[in-house]
Amino acid sequence: MSPRIALFSHYRRHPLQLAALAAMILLASALWTGIHHLTSQARTSLEQSERAVAERQQSVREDGNPVSVQDFVNLRRQGLCVMPWLEVPVPGRGRLVGIDPLAAHCFAEPGHTPAPWQGELDGKPFVDISEAAAQASAEASALVLLVSQADGQSPPPAGYRYQAFAVAPDTAELGDSFLLNLDALGVLVLLITSLLLRSVFLLGLAQRRESLALLYRYGVNRSQLSRLLLVENLLLALVCILPGVWLGRALSLVLADGFGQALEGLFDRLLYAGGGEDWWLPTLTMVAVIVAACLAGVRDSSGSLLTRVQPAFFAVLLALGLAVSLWAPTLIWLFLAVALVFLAAGWLAPLAIAGVVRWLARNTGDPLIRWRLQEVAVLVRRLALPLVALQFALALVLAVHALVTTFEDTFDQWLGQRLEADYYIEVPQGADITAAVSWLAAKPELVSPELWHQVIRGRASVQTASGREPVPVDVFALGPVSHLVQNWRLLAQTETPWQALARGEGLMVNEQLARRQQLAVGDRLIVRLGARRLQAPVLAVYPDYGRPSGEVLVPASLLPEDFEARFRSLSISAGIEEIKVVEAQLARLWHTPQLTVRDNQAIRTLATDVFDQTFLLTRAMTTLTLILAAAALLLMVWVFLSTRAWYFRLLIVWGMPQRQAATQLTRVSLALIFAVLVCALPLGVWLTWILVQRINPLAFGWSLPMAVYPGFWIELAVLALIIGLSIALLMRLQLRRPASAPESAHGLQGGER
Amino acid sequence: MADNLISVTGLSKQFESGDQHVTVLRELSVHLGRGESLALTGPSGSGKSTLLNVLCGLESPGSGRLAMLGQPLAGDGAPTGKALERTWCELRQSRLGVVFQDANLMPTLSLLDNIRLRARLAGRDDTSAGDWLQRLGIGELGQRYPDQVSGGQRQRAALAMVFVTRPALILADEPTGSLDRRTAETVADELFELQARHGCGLVLATHDADLAARCLHQLDLGHQGGP
Ligand SMILES: Nc1ncnc2c1ncn2[C@@H]1O[C@H](COP(=O)(O)OP(=O)(O)OP(=O)(O)O)[C@@H](O)[C@H]1O
Ligand SMILES: [Mg+2]
Repeated sequence: MSPRIALFSHYRRHPLQLAALAAMILLASALWTGIHHLTSQARTSLEQSERAVAERQQSVREDGNPVSVQDFVNLRRQGLCVMPWLEVPVPGRGRLVGIDPLAAHCFAEPGHTPAPWQGELDGKPFVDISEAAAQASAEASALVLLVSQADGQSPPPAGYRYQAFAVAPDTAELGDSFLLNLDALGVLVLLITSLLLRSVFLLGLAQRRESLALLYRYGVNRSQLSRLLLVENLLLALVCILPGVWLGRALSLVLADGFGQALEGLFDRLLYAGGGEDWWLPTLTMVAVIVAACLAGVRDSSGSLLTRVQPAFFAVLLALGLAVSLWAPTLIWLFLAVALVFLAAGWLAPLAIAGVVRWLARNTGDPLIRWRLQEVAVLVRRLALPLVALQFALALVLAVHALVTTFEDTFDQWLGQRLEADYYIEVPQGADITAAVSWLAAKPELVSPELWHQVIRGRASVQTASGREPVPVDVFALGPVSHLVQNWRLLAQTETPWQALARGEGLMVNEQLARRQQLAVGDRLIVRLGARRLQAPVLAVYPDYGRPSGEVLVPASLLPEDFEARFRSLSISAGIEEIKVVEAQLARLWHTPQLTVRDNQAIRTLATDVFDQTFLLTRAMTTLTLILAAAALLLMVWVFLSTRAWYFRLLIVWGMPQRQAATQLTRVSLALIFAVLVCALPLGVWLTWILVQRINPLAFGWSLPMAVYPGFWIELAVLALIIGLSIALLMRLQLRRPASAPESAHGLQGGER
Repeated sequence: MADNLISVTGLSKQFESGDQHVTVLRELSVHLGRGESLALTGPSGSGKSTLLNVLCGLESPGSGRLAMLGQPLAGDGAPTGKALERTWCELRQSRLGVVFQDANLMPTLSLLDNIRLRARLAGRDDTSAGDWLQRLGIGELGQRYPDQVSGGQRQRAALAMVFVTRPALILADEPTGSLDRRTAETVADELFELQARHGCGLVLATHDADLAARCLHQLDLGHQGGP
């Protein structure tokens, strides 16, 4: 018999183990590939969408009316290179963008990568304009005329203006943040799967120790044995990884539509197909993980390393990791801190549980309680790897839940702040907003005076009193300061910031600006608003997600006459009848046939739906990891228990009724699982903190609020209960099967204490 | 009958492995009075352990009649279902002492705690646990764990564990099987000595002819068992 056959024959006798190992590799590959594929696709498409619209200009009519085909013809006749961009919503598919490939030619810039719409028009999302026009319904589609960079430099023809082209408010950073967090979670998932793989592998090794020893005695040397094991694992890995990667891709393709739409809705970005096509990266990653998981310290398969290394060392490591996470000036340091903390926590948790349990055992007088506690200690030690994997998975699920919920709440809140009013009316270019404002102010019976305001956006520059260089900022001007904004969540504030703002005694800044300029409430700022130079204190800092730019919030009364407004609107909360009256009156005042009125409630509902869908995916991913960890744990428990069944049966031999013995075992398994849960909670809370309070500010300049959701802990506890009861069930089954006495007192480590 | 610790008539036991029936015990009759000892002998696979397992209720008898310590447990008048399990549990708790070849002790408890646990489960006072270790000559080893003492010391602890429950009948399956000759002899001496002193019955499965000869009765399962 060749050594190779001798090795492989192990799995012939334990086909279930082989199947479990194979299934785990397959699932892990699928999971990882799926995540990788989705995130890289989302990232590519976010990047592309950014490039598609980056620094483009569009041509609009001076009179504020939307551009039409006639305008296109006019501009072309004047020798301008304009390209029509027709956005058409397609139910269930997002949107199509019709462009004119001929016009796109003059947009080519030598030395630049072509914009995504300069490629093939395959409906993802670009199509020929004729095709888009065929699907366009009048009210929902929008025509934009893009001006080439060269033409954008020279003054616009009479009757037209150039303005920056943006499909939506800039939320790219929110998207990036989301993806970065997904990446971090993907790495953790990889870590957990490698732990699981290692535990199953070590289990097989422990069971094969005798045949390995035999081979060794027959003259097969150690390096040969290691090589054989490596070959065996690589073979297994290859056989399982490829279908796993395939499965992961298939899965991500199924999810991609929903995910794409979710991202599109979430960040209001066009999503592009393509990208993330590589299959080799996940494959290589998985191979590396498997080799690392199975080879690292093959000789240490007994877990003796656990006792050899001083716990104090890991306590120091933990403290170091926590300290680094507080101090970390860059993302790399932060990731290092996370690695340290996870390493230390993973190492310390089983030791800590065993330590506490042993201490309790020493301090109880009841031999039965002592027995239970000691059994817990044995299980913790023998099943350390899968238990730690479970601990990580629980922590991960907890953190992801908190992150997702926080994200959701925050975004919802932020959206709520921005869309506080029921309706939102765009003020056309050139329209007289003062007339509208005085009319509204004179009609308190129609719209309550506290429930409307005008918003004027533009640019300004800001200088701190200490005299640093002026920096350009966005201006968000409000007038009057209605109740609609007074529910904004403020990060820092003076006593009555809104009243002070209304009186024109100061201004507010967004978090980005505050962080960048190290501004605190009370600091004085010099703001240059058009011709006016204004010095005012900071009254409050408000969160402002998804944009890199700094922003100041000022009362509209402080704006000078010559302030160049880029965008004006009215936010109004009123009944549907009242808003119709307002709409009609404003249309009359402004001499426009049609006003753009948005129903904010509908927008919010849509955004919320989209969020739910996006996070369904994240939750599904982490829950799958948890299921994987739980399944692996149960498998290990099953194998380990079969070596310990004899001792459980002793309880029956000593006259304990089946039911009572089963209760004892249930208590053992529940104590075990809840100890793991208790270790997972602080880790999860810490990871949450890292994700929302450290990664985001470091990467993007703004933080998410930190929140823990104890309600979810109860859900996790229920989950732990289910896992614990499943283990207890496995133990019970062992009680029923006639056990054979271990061959030697320590047959297969069953007699361990 | 009431005087009989064991009363077995026409007992047969079959095992089903796959679609095969293996008859291990066939039409067996065994009777054992108070204070008597019986040696079960026979080649490996002849059913010694199976019979002991039937006698302590860990294995169900296939057919035939079985009464232990005067209580009918199989055949006419025997309880069934829950009541049967309860009867067996009560018997094993404090009336039957079972000793295996090895692994009689919980590996996670010290010798003393093992004996205390056993006493507790039998509803006996566990303060005598130390005395029993003392009596078996391993008093100073009470705080050690089973893997920290020799095989002989472990078996002595197992005996202590049996006697602390003050059983009426001891069922021992090759209790000295894993010990060297001299240790086996001393452990066997102690077993017989305690059995005689406490007047309990003993059923002993063994391959050792000398040990079997020390019992009052001998039953060679090799002559009746087998397929
Ligand atoms: N649970 C079982 N299922 C099927 N067959 C069994 C089972 N238990 C025992 N047997 C069979 O019953 C026969 C008797 O086994 P038993 O263990 O009683 O023999 P033994 O006399 O104690 O042998 P040894 O001296 O080796 O201990 C054997 O052939 C064994 O294979
Ligand atoms: Mg036997």
